[in-house]
Amino acid sequence: MDNFTIVGQKIPKIDAPVKATGDALYIQDIKVSGMLHGKILYSKYPHARILKLDTSKAETLPGVRAVVTAADMPPNFRIGVMKDNPPLKSGKTKSIRDEIAAVAAISTEVAEEALSLIEVEYEELPGIFDPIEAMQEGATLIHEEVKSNILKMPWKLVCGDVETAKKDSAHIVEDTFSTQWVTHCCMGTSGCIAQLDASNNLTLYSNTQIPSLAQNDFIEALNAFGYKNRRVRIIQSVIGGGFGSKLDTYAYEYIAILLAIKTRKPVKIIFSREEEFFATSPRQCTITKISQGCDKEGRLTFREIEMILDNGAYTSWGATTPSVMMLPISSLYKVPNIKYVAKCVYTNNTYCQAMRGYGNPQATFAIESSLDQLAEKAGIDPLEFRIRNSNEPGEITPQRFKITSCGMKECIDEVAKRLAWKTKKEHKGNRGVGIASLIHVGGGARVYKSDGCGTIIKMDDFGKVDVFTGASDIGQGSDTVIAQIVAEVLGIPIEDVNVVNNDTDICPWDVGVHASRTTFVAGNAALGAAKKIREQILEAAGKLLEEEPSFLDIKNSIIYSTKDKEKSTPLGKALRKIHYTLGGKMLMAEYFYDPANENFDREFKGNLSVSYAYGAHGVEVEVDKETGQVKILNYIAAHDVGKPINPLLLEGQIYGGGLQGIGYALGEKMIYKNGRLMNGNFLDYKMPTVKDVPPVQAVIVETDEKDGPFGAKGIGEPGLVPTAPAIANAIYDAVGVRIKDLPITPEKILKALKEKQGRT
Amino acid sequence: MKSYEYHKPKTIEEAISLMGSLEDAKFIAGGTDVMVLIKQKKISSKCMVSLRNIDGLAYIDTQNGLRIGSGTTHNTIDENGHIKRYYSALTDATSRLGSKQIRNVATIGGNICNAAPSADTACPLLALDAKAVIVGQNGSKTTSLDEFFLGPGKTILSKEELLKEFVMPLYGENTGSAYIKHTRRNAMDLPILGVATRITVSLPDENISRCKDMFCTIDSISNILERLKDEGVKCEDVMIAMGVVAPRPMRAKNAESVMKGKIVSSELFEEIGNIAAGEAQPRDSIRGEAWYRTEMIKVLVKRALIKSIDRVIRPDEAFYPERLW
Ligand SMILES: Cc1cc2nc3c(=O)[nH]c(=O)nc-3n(C[C@H](O)[C@H](O)[C@H](O)COP(=O)(O)OP(=O)(O)OC[C@H]3O[C@@H](n4cnc5c(N)ncnc54)[C@H](O)[C@@H]3O)c2cc1C
Repeated sequence: MDNFTIVGQKIPKIDAPVKATGDALYIQDIKVSGMLHGKILYSKYPHARILKLDTSKAETLPGVRAVVTAADMPPNFRIGVMKDNPPLKSGKTKSIRDEIAAVAAISTEVAEEALSLIEVEYEELPGIFDPIEAMQEGATLIHEEVKSNILKMPWKLVCGDVETAKKDSAHIVEDTFSTQWVTHCCMGTSGCIAQLDASNNLTLYSNTQIPSLAQNDFIEALNAFGYKNRRVRIIQSVIGGGFGSKLDTYAYEYIAILLAIKTRKPVKIIFSREEEFFATSPRQCTITKISQGCDKEGRLTFREIEMILDNGAYTSWGATTPSVMMLPISSLYKVPNIKYVAKCVYTNNTYCQAMRGYGNPQATFAIESSLDQLAEKAGIDPLEFRIRNSNEPGEITPQRFKITSCGMKECIDEVAKRLAWKTKKEHKGNRGVGIASLIHVGGGARVYKSDGCGTIIKMDDFGKVDVFTGASDIGQGSDTVIAQIVAEVLGIPIEDVNVVNNDTDICPWDVGVHASRTTFVAGNAALGAAKKIREQILEAAGKLLEEEPSFLDIKNSIIYSTKDKEKSTPLGKALRKIHYTLGGKMLMAEYFYDPANENFDREFKGNLSVSYAYGAHGVEVEVDKETGQVKILNYIAAHDVGKPINPLLLEGQIYGGGLQGIGYALGEKMIYKNGRLMNGNFLDYKMPTVKDVPPVQAVIVETDEKDGPFGAKGIGEPGLVPTAPAIANAIYDAVGVRIKDLPITPEKILKALKEKQGRT
Repeated sequence: MKSYEYHKPKTIEEAISLMGSLEDAKFIAGGTDVMVLIKQKKISSKCMVSLRNIDGLAYIDTQNGLRIGSGTTHNTIDENGHIKRYYSALTDATSRLGSKQIRNVATIGGNICNAAPSADTACPLLALDAKAVIVGQNGSKTTSLDEFFLGPGKTILSKEELLKEFVMPLYGENTGSAYIKHTRRNAMDLPILGVATRITVSLPDENISRCKDMFCTIDSISNILERLKDEGVKCEDVMIAMGVVAPRPMRAKNAESVMKGKIVSSELFEEIGNIAAGEAQPRDSIRGEAWYRTEMIKVLVKRALIKSIDRVIRPDEAFYPERLW
């Protein structure tokens, strides 16, 4: 991108200095005058009847301002997509994270002590912790009122005719793959401060990644509390990571609101690290039965998948991940015939939520592992097999995705070249190579009624600009990207752009940080607003300089004529002249961008995104056959991202995603035993450390995405989508054992090696 | 967090008498175990007696063997060249304990007194035949470290007793040692299993250079062992210690006695690994399954032993072929 001076440059995050110096104010740092501290009492058992709940002792503890239970919540008030989750539970508890009571006190210490004074008597009930068991006839119902443990959210996608395709296939493979619970591990734990004014309007300080939708939810809550037609203002703190964990509203927020109502004081609830582990919602675990076939030439003929997801006891957006899983299932490689059925099942486990990739990593693990099996059966090199079936620009996939730009083949080629695939394949000595590809939404995703984002731009008297965007920066760097776009269009230095993104009173609507959409959608919104204000500036400057606006340009904050060198003025001076004159004006512009993508129809078909992101990961591993340990020797992550707006941040997303994917593949697992989390800490939850980072090469494959801001597509999630299958395939190549259940631990490898030895 | 009294004695005697007079008091050195336990509400002592201001608890004395003061941080040990050369197993442990930040404050005394079955310095100290010098109200005594541990978190120390130092014998050029920490992560992790070995070997002088050469290859362990056997490498003395395989760090004494006096060979190592595995009583836990730990003892005892021998034969080698161990 030679013509641009700011877009396309490796510009460090504009918020890096405040974060590095500790000046950034996270929710933990925010204090509101008169604020009380809330703490939540959770169920002692994953499944139990509450026989007695006595809060009287807690209430009399000095410093306690309120103790609340389900009795204080509006009756029948439920949260979540299926409205199956009362913020405070009564009668029966259904999971270990069930909120039973809560306290507001003058300090967290007093609140904690008060919790220990609440007397609860339980009758422990046998729980169901296995979705297969929960699906059986006569299984205890988790929610008695809904009559079945299978969620009334039937996921079914049928394209073409799988049965006929099976008959016509030369090779077919079938197998079952499973994945585990993993959690987001945000550095910033969840938290909020709820504050009501005298008219019962709510201000919620929060680290949510969906301010506009959260506003909606809390307006509903105030209605339920009897405060009709109130205003809700969400003020976001600096957000210490989201990864999907903050993509819904949660019981603790409603509890904070309830405590604020009871005490008429602001109430702050901050999760401890322990709570962050067990009381937030992980990525759902899946059991995937997959069958795929190909013809003699190795062209894919069909893909059939049946999937069971452990929903846990309540329902969050996580239950809708099968909709995104449909994307790789129907459209990763060219597959004409597709059948996919998924069931989400209630259990007494923790309930699941969105997490980076939104189901795609689970589905891709099954697809890409199975694809290697198929390639082997067909006697074709797995990389060659993938090239043969690769997606292409201009394709319309069976689910009706319109593929615009597509650099999939180029990504696979990069992997082949940089991994020295051909030579490494011949290798051996316990080393092996593996590859897996990905498709993800790269131009928004219409999963809600609107996929839009608004932006307002306001110029000051000095040539500086304030940009009010709906898009939240959760650490991914969207503020920097938005500032780059605006600075580029206006011809001003990036330091002169101030991005305001944290207050629903000021910022326009945005659907939220999900679906890798922020650069694409908020970027387009910022671009639209910047172009509009540029027109206004040039229009007014044209009058000042007596020049046709079309001959005017702005560079380094100077407006000048491209025709006549004499005609120029500093931007700030021009703005002041436009302002300080009779009938003067301040320049402002707004723009709302909603991409031209489609909601799925009743058959789950439609062009979900206006563009799709592609990538391929290749990995070389070495397996220690005596210990089962895997060492990653080389990791290539090639991504088709359209045009990079900021290669530095882009690579950051690829490294970060890749590393999160490596954790998913090789070590991370929330160990639940009978509904209880056994490893809710960083010692036993094996998130990789900096010392575990293998050599990762991020390769940017440029395509030009006509709808993207400056040609860009999304990259937030793709980095971890194909990691696990690429590693599993490499391990198979190295030592001939295929691990079908994540994470791939040394124990599983050693066991498989011993079994294999026993067989031969 | 609960508040507590914090005492800063200047001498060992003062520290001991404070412990005698204060009710519900606890020593705190680096605090990296104590503070975690307080936060987890597993201890709730009202008084903390800090050992950080006592002169003469943090030292390394290499005259005539090795003495390490209990207040010495892991990082200080890690940076000591003499220890790295003659007590290598200890450096293997301190170099990978926690993280740099932890190693800068955490002490070797705290690691041992905390008596976790996974304590990283326990296996090396056992294999290096360390003695613990304990000071109490009635003076000081010396016990072998093997007698020091009673169970998880339990030692022979009474409340008023303080661990002053570790004392290890002088080891010559024919002795090498190693510790292997088997983990899932490369940092900030406790071992699934830890194995430390120390071996004293004898071999005809004229064979040394040939042995050196074979260690420079990346041949398999069994091949190297066969060659060592041909060169007549003999085990004169050996100690093997294992962590996380029993309620306390332990020695594989049967394996040691079988090995002593024998010419090394592939079969012998195989046998030693199996005997050691038989001596352990590993359990299933979320950190690792018993069968896996048993399998790993067999592998890691072998690897630690050969690494120890390598260190005798190539004492100045900075790089050891990683693929072997
Ligand atoms: C993040 C983290 C990572 C860690 N990683 C590891 C690891 O990889 N491997 C490992 O083995 N450990 C690890 N630990 C545990 C801990 O750091 C070590 O056990 C450390 O050596 C303890 O030393 P300390 O000086 O901090 O002990 P303290 O916490 O001060 O004390 C520990 C115990 O010993 C007692 N004590 C201390 N000194 C004496 C003395 N001289 N006489 C009598 N009693 C005494 C104390 O009363 C207390 O009971 C880790 C801890 C943390 C927080």
